[in-house]
Parts: sequence; C-alpha cells; structure tokens
Amino acid sequence: MMNFLIIILNLLTVLFLPFLMIGIIKKTKAFWGGRYGASVFQPLYDFIKLIKKDFVISNTTSTIFRLTPLISFAAIIIAAVFVPLISGTAIINIPAGLIVFAYLLALGKFFNCIGAMDTGSSFEGMGTSREACFTSIVEPAFFIILGSIMALSGNYTFESLSKITTNAGSYGVLIIIFAVLALFLMVLIEGCRVPVDDPATHLELTMIHEVMILDNSGFDLALITWASGIKMLLITSLIAKIIIPTGSPLYAVYYLITVFLVSIIIGTVESSMARIRMSHIFEFIFIMSSFALIVMSLVGAKVFGG
Amino acid sequence: MIFYFISMLIVILAAFWALPTAIKVLFTGYSVTKTINLGKESIFNNINFVIDPLSAFFIIIILIMGILGLIYSKGYLKPYIEKGKSINSHYLFYTALILSMLGVVTCQNALFFLVIWEIMSLSSFFLCIFENEEKEVLNAGIKYLIFMHISVLFLIIPFAILSIKTGSYNFESFSLILKNNEALADIIFILFFVGFGIKAGFVPFHNWLPEAHPIAPSHISAIMSGVMIKTGIYGILRILMLSGGVTKFIAYFVLIIAVISALYGILYAVGQSDIKKMLAYSSIENIGIIGIGIGVGMLGLVYNHPMVAFLGFIGAIFHIFNHSIFKNLLFFGAGAVYLKSHTKNMELLGGLIKKMPKTGILFLTGCIAICALPPFNGFIGEFLIYFGILKGLSINSFFNFLILIFAFAGLALVGTMALLCFTKAFSITFLGHQRSKYAKNVKDESPHSIIMPMGILAVFALSVGLFPGFMFEVLITPVELLTNGLNGIQSVEEPLNILQIVSLVSAVLIILTALLAAVRYKLNKKIESAPTWGCGYDKELKRAQYTGSSYVSPFLSMLKPLFKKVYDVEKPKKLFPKSAHFSMKIEDIEEAYVINPLLKFDEWFLSKFEKLQNGNLQTYLKYGLIFLLISIIGGLLI
Repeated sequence: MMNFLIIILNLLTVLFLPFLMIGIIKKTKAFWGGRYGASVFQPLYDFIKLIKKDFVISNTTSTIFRLTPLISFAAIIIAAVFVPLISGTAIINIPAGLIVFAYLLALGKFFNCIGAMDTGSSFEGMGTSREACFTSIVEPAFFIILGSIMALSGNYTFESLSKITTNAGSYGVLIIIFAVLALFLMVLIEGCRVPVDDPATHLELTMIHEVMILDNSGFDLALITWASGIKMLLITSLIAKIIIPTGSPLYAVYYLITVFLVSIIIGTVESSMARIRMSHIFEFIFIMSSFALIVMSLVGAKVFGG
Repeated sequence: MIFYFISMLIVILAAFWALPTAIKVLFTGYSVTKTINLGKESIFNNINFVIDPLSAFFIIIILIMGILGLIYSKGYLKPYIEKGKSINSHYLFYTALILSMLGVVTCQNALFFLVIWEIMSLSSFFLCIFENEEKEVLNAGIKYLIFMHISVLFLIIPFAILSIKTGSYNFESFSLILKNNEALADIIFILFFVGFGIKAGFVPFHNWLPEAHPIAPSHISAIMSGVMIKTGIYGILRILMLSGGVTKFIAYFVLIIAVISALYGILYAVGQSDIKKMLAYSSIENIGIIGIGIGVGMLGLVYNHPMVAFLGFIGAIFHIFNHSIFKNLLFFGAGAVYLKSHTKNMELLGGLIKKMPKTGILFLTGCIAICALPPFNGFIGEFLIYFGILKGLSINSFFNFLILIFAFAGLALVGTMALLCFTKAFSITFLGHQRSKYAKNVKDESPHSIIMPMGILAVFALSVGLFPGFMFEVLITPVELLTNGLNGIQSVEEPLNILQIVSLVSAVLIILTALLAAVRYKLNKKIESAPTWGCGYDKELKRAQYTGSSYVSPFLSMLKPLFKKVYDVEKPKKLFPKSAHFSMKIEDIEEAYVINPLLKFDEWFLSKFEKLQNGNLQTYLKYGLIFLLISIIGGLLI
C-alpha cells in the first residue's frame, strides 16, 4: 500500500512539477523585469497546445529523427524511477542506482545528439557539439560528488545523500554547502539556463539546447520540452534530498519548498546576469569540477583524517 | 573460393571439437587436460593443453567471432576477387590465426606457448598486409611486426627466468615459485605485463594498434581488435592466476595504467576522422576499461575484500565479451561503408542511412552498445566495474580512496567522451547530407553476407543487455579461478538482483518507446515535409553542414596540450586565388615525443658504425683476421 502511494506520488511529481518549475522561473523573470507575466501554468498549456499541432518534418531527416524524442523521453522517465522524489524515496532504490540513472540520461543525450545531426543543419550541429562537450565535463564532477558522499556512508543508494550530517559530523555542513552549490550549477548547465545557455533566445549562434530542437514540432517538441523539464527536476530533487533531514514527516512540503526556491533562484540568476561568452563557459563548468574536488577532499579528510 | 570452404570447414570442425568441451567446462567449472607425451628425449615431452573455465571462455569468443568473420569475408573480399586478387593465402593465414589463438589460450607449456604466440603474430601480420601493393600498408604492417617482436622479447625473458628457476616449462611449476618469492613475482609480473600489454594495446605500448587496424581488411581488423588483442589480457589474467595474488604496488600500477589507457584511447578516438583509426583508438579505450576491472579486482585481492575482487574481475571478463561483440559489429559496419564508398574518411561521407538503412541501424546498435548505454550489453560490464569501484571505496586507505574515486570519475569521463566520439562517428557517416562524391558512390544496401554477421552480433548485443543474468552466472566459474585465494563466502546475490532490475528497466524502456510511438501514431496528425530550417532562407546550404572536426573542435580545443596537431595549409593568395587547401591531422603525442626521438637517436647511434661496412673486400678480410687473432689469443689465455 505504502509502495503504491510512493509510486503514485512520484509519478504525479514527474508529470506536473516540471511544468510548474518552468512556470515559476518565467514568473520570477517577469517579476524582475517589471512585467505581470503569464500564469505559472502556461508551460502546461503550451504543452497541450503542442500536442494538438501537426508536424513539419525536414526532408533531409531519416527514421532516427522521428525516433529521437520517443527514446530520449522514455529514458528520462525511467531515470526518474531511480531518484528520490516528493515521497523521499525512489520507486526503485538499488545500490549503484546512480550509475543506471546517469547512463539513462546519457542515452537520452545520445539520441538528442544524433537526432539533431540528422537534419544536416549547421546550427544544430553547433548546438550538439557544445552540448556533448559540456556533458563530458559535468559528468565526472557529478560522479566525484556522489561517489564521495556514498563512500562516506558506505551505502551506495541515493539514501546516503540525506545522511551527510550524521556521518560527517562537523564536516557535514561544508560538504552539504559545496555539494548543493555544485548540483545547482549542474541544474543551470543541464537545464540550459543562463549563464550557460539562454532558453529565451531562438536563432542565435550562442545557444546550445534550444538550437538542437529547431526542426522538431508538434508531439515531438512537446515530449522534448517535457523531458528537459524533468531533467532539471531530477537534479533539483537530489539537492532536496541532501538538504532535507532524514525521516522528516513533512518531507513532501520541504521538497516542494526546495523545488520552488530553486526555481526562483534560477529565475533571479537569469534576470540578474547575462550569458557568458561561449569560450568562457568551460571555465564556468570547471567551477563545478572544483566544487566536486572540494567535496572529495572533505570526505577524504573526514574519513581518513580522524 | 575453394580455400574459403576449406578454411570454413576447418574452423567449423574446430568448433565442433572444442565448443562442447568449452561449454561444459564453463558450466561445471572442472577443467579438462590433454597431455602430449612423446617420450623423455623428445622436446614434445609432457606438454599440457588445459581447458579451464578461463580458456573455455576465450575459446567460445574466438570460435564465434572466427566463424562470423569468415562469413563476412565472403562479401567483403568479393570486389577483390573480381579484380583478380588471389585470396588463397589469405584464408590459409586466417585459419592459422584462429587455430593459433585457440592454442594460445589452452597451451600451458612456456616453450610451445611462445611458438604458438609467434604463429599468431605472424599470421595476423600477413593478414594485415592484404593490400600489400600499397606503400602505407606495408609500412604499417612492418611496424606491427616490430612491435610484436618487442612483445615476444618481453615474454621470453620472464619465461626464461622462470624455467631456469624451476627446470621445467610447465605453467603449473611456475606457480610455486611465484607464490613463494614476492620480489621476483613483482618483476616477473611487470615483464609479462609489458609483453602482454603490447599485444593488448595498453598505453604506452599501443602505437601499433592505430596503424595496423586501418590497413587490414575489415574482418581482420575485427578479429584482431575483438579477439586477438584479448589474448594479451588472457596472458595477464593467466599470470595473475598462477601467482595467486599480487602486491599492492602491482594492483595500483595496473589500475593507473588502465585508467590512463582508457582516457588516452578515447581522447584520440574523438580526434580521428579515419573511421577505422577511430575504432582502433577506441579499442585502446576498451582495453583500458577491462584493465580498470582487473585493477579493481586485484585491489580486492590485496585488501582481502571478496566482493570488490569478484565485481572487478567479472566486470572485466564481461567487458571482454561485450567488447568483442560490439567492436566486431562496428568494424564490420566500417568495412561495409568502405566497400561501397571506397573511403575511410568520415568527413567525405554523410547521408548513407538512406541508401543502406540496414547497415546504418546495425552500426547505430554498435555505437550505442560501445557507449555503454542501456539496454545494450556494454552497460552491464561497465556497471559491474563501477559497482566494484564503489564497493572498493570503503576499503580503509586514503590512497586507495583517492585512486578509486579518480578511476570512478575517469570511467565517467571515458563514457561521456565515448558519447561524443560515437555520436560523431554515426552522424557524420550516416546522417545529414552527402558530403562528397564518395558518399554518392553508395547506391545500394550491403550484401547479405555482410548484413547477416552484423545482425547476429546486434542480436547478441541486445539480448545480453536484456538478459544479463544468464551471462553473469556463466562467467562466475572463470572469475572463481581468479579469486579463489580469498576467504569468505562470495555472495553473488546482490549484483545478480541489481542486474535483474537493470534488465527489467531495459525491457520497460523498449516497451515505453513503442508505446509512445503508438500514441503518436494514434494522434494521427498531418505530416508536412519541408527543408531543414535555415533561419528563413528556404534553400538548403548543404556545404554549411557541420563537419566531424568542427563537431569535436570545442572539446579538443579545451585539451590542446594533449595533442600534436599537424596542419597542412595553403592560404588563398592575391586577388583571384587559384588554389587553397586546409587539412589537419592529429598525431599521437607518444609517437611524436617518445618513439620518434628514440628512433632518431637509434639512427644517429647506429650511423656511427656505418664506416665498418664500406664494401671493401680487403677491409672485411682484415675483420676476419682480427677476429681469428682474438679468438686464438683468447683461447690460449683460457
């Protein structure tokens, strides 16, 4: 019964929260811009509208292009099964679930890349090349952070994220700060937000993720936007899992607060700074790597330094 | 063609003879020994051929890939036969290669091991230089030959030391010495590691690989990369088994070399535009991943942590199997493309999936599998290695923690770089617009004899990915040979359960994709065809299409110091420039900064002795006289 409840709750989270997150980010940006802004549910309406639309498909493309949104969406939905969401636990909670999670996301990314390259467009090639390149720096840092935290507790599930303070004592606070900061940067990078990428601009040579989906339309585009929302939500959920104390009865409430807070911060960041120049984005991403190394050395200091 | 059938017959006979035994050994765990004994005076005295689970595992891979390679060669060599090239010797050496590989993994006598090893190297050399009328083929082939002989040299030394110490050539007798003398065991292991490592392609002994693979016919590259270089890994595992464990130093040594190999291999694979060279570098990467598994397993042995040892070794062995599947698939695919388009340069291809959809989809399967993405087989092996590393993090040593966490992140980095490399390879070769006349050469689908082996391999890749539990249980017996020095009952329940969940997830992934496709179909929306969006311009600019080198350029520019880029540029000059060109090649830094200077030094040093050989008969007579004098005086003195 309990399990059933968890599944229902987590599913509902994955279904609706991504849209709400994007809605809140947009609302925050509207607020800082002095505008009234659209309703926070607007992304959901957009989604429904997209599903009702017809397709325009490039005649350069092959089956790969049509397959891409389906597979990348399926991969991300299944990756969500391994992450602790609103109920505080994941639907499938296995040791080394981190690796299954990361590789399912990578599968989605693989198909996004080849799907974009299938159009033969130079813009999409550019975006793909950047996206694939950034992932290659983000992923090792992500693995170092989670690997270190898991080494700390000796428990290789995502549960160990919530036990940092119990395991690390006074080091715990520092570890949490740097881990959360690094994961927040990861939300910005993987969610394609400012200062890495600007989701509001279409058709500029500066963009990354948006340019990869220029040729998608209708149902396909709907799935892709939903999938990228879910990806952002999943990483935010990891942040929530780190911050919220274990066994808190109000986990769901705290979880929602964390997600909304992260969205508001993202909106604020987007309104308060400009995109970084493309050649400097690497340096920005390496900040995440250095945070990861700090987390690793803190864990090392705690476990082996006495 | 008659030689094709003879070769096929011999390989199939070998399969009938060896496969049942191998499968039985693998399932039961009991080894089978065959001793050749021709009397005390003969050198054919007491030579053991043993099929233990480890050999059995390799025998199965060799035979499966051997037969598939033969089927493929029928389609691949057809244009050559039509051109009037003789292929008889090719099949002769092919059979020799398969049989000698079977010999290498079963022979347990040092002398005969070396002889068979040499037959394997030589036959693969002759297979490599199939197109020997071309200069670069011969050059690369000779480089391969030289490397293989350096490898043999490093194998002869430790074997000689061991057989002098024990007075026997049998592997069993070596075991005792290795177990008792730790300092000697370390030196012996390192010598063996270098010898076998040259064959396997560990960095810094890898230089022959990216040269030899591109020149060989595709089924030979496939056999060499998918199976033959694994005999190097086999050798390392065999020595590990004989010495029954290693010191801490060796374990870290192997792990660090392996991580470096994996990173180095994939880094250079990203930069290549020659499709087969890219696959060759990716073999170095995969050997590195296998090495990481072995290193983690060794750490488990050193720190007496059965689970870590078990996961490391089973991950490594699983990955050996997986790599032989998807690497063969990819080389077959690359060969199919080369056959139709007559180029190996990806930058000249593009849009091939419309002309050869089956080849394209099968090649894509290989690409997904080699990136270790679910639901294909590559994921399972890497997952087990990852899991072993995670478990190993709890070993209480700071150095260990540091090395393992970097191995963990390194493996992740390798994975993402593989993603970059293979999305490039697939999309530049098969997707988008056709880039040149070479791409337009491709008119129709590959022949059945090429599609069929690829299809079989793709089915293997998918079914191992969907049902990993079966393979996992089969591979327990060879792993037990490697970990039997450990006390404590090994529980395989945990990884097995996780693998079951992984297989469930993979199945759900496929079902969900099909479901989404069904939903999209049901929505029944109108599909309009239009040119690719070009920012408002309605004519497509095909020449502006992204190229392979621009695809990886942001990544490579980040890691500039790790490459030596060689440019060949002619800038447009004057008002009406007549000609201009640009080309860039990425050169191996090890070759540029280590091997080439060494060779230069060698040349310089040896040139000092040039004067001795001056072609003058009188001088040679003088040498003879001096030699005679020295030997007479020496003889008198003694």
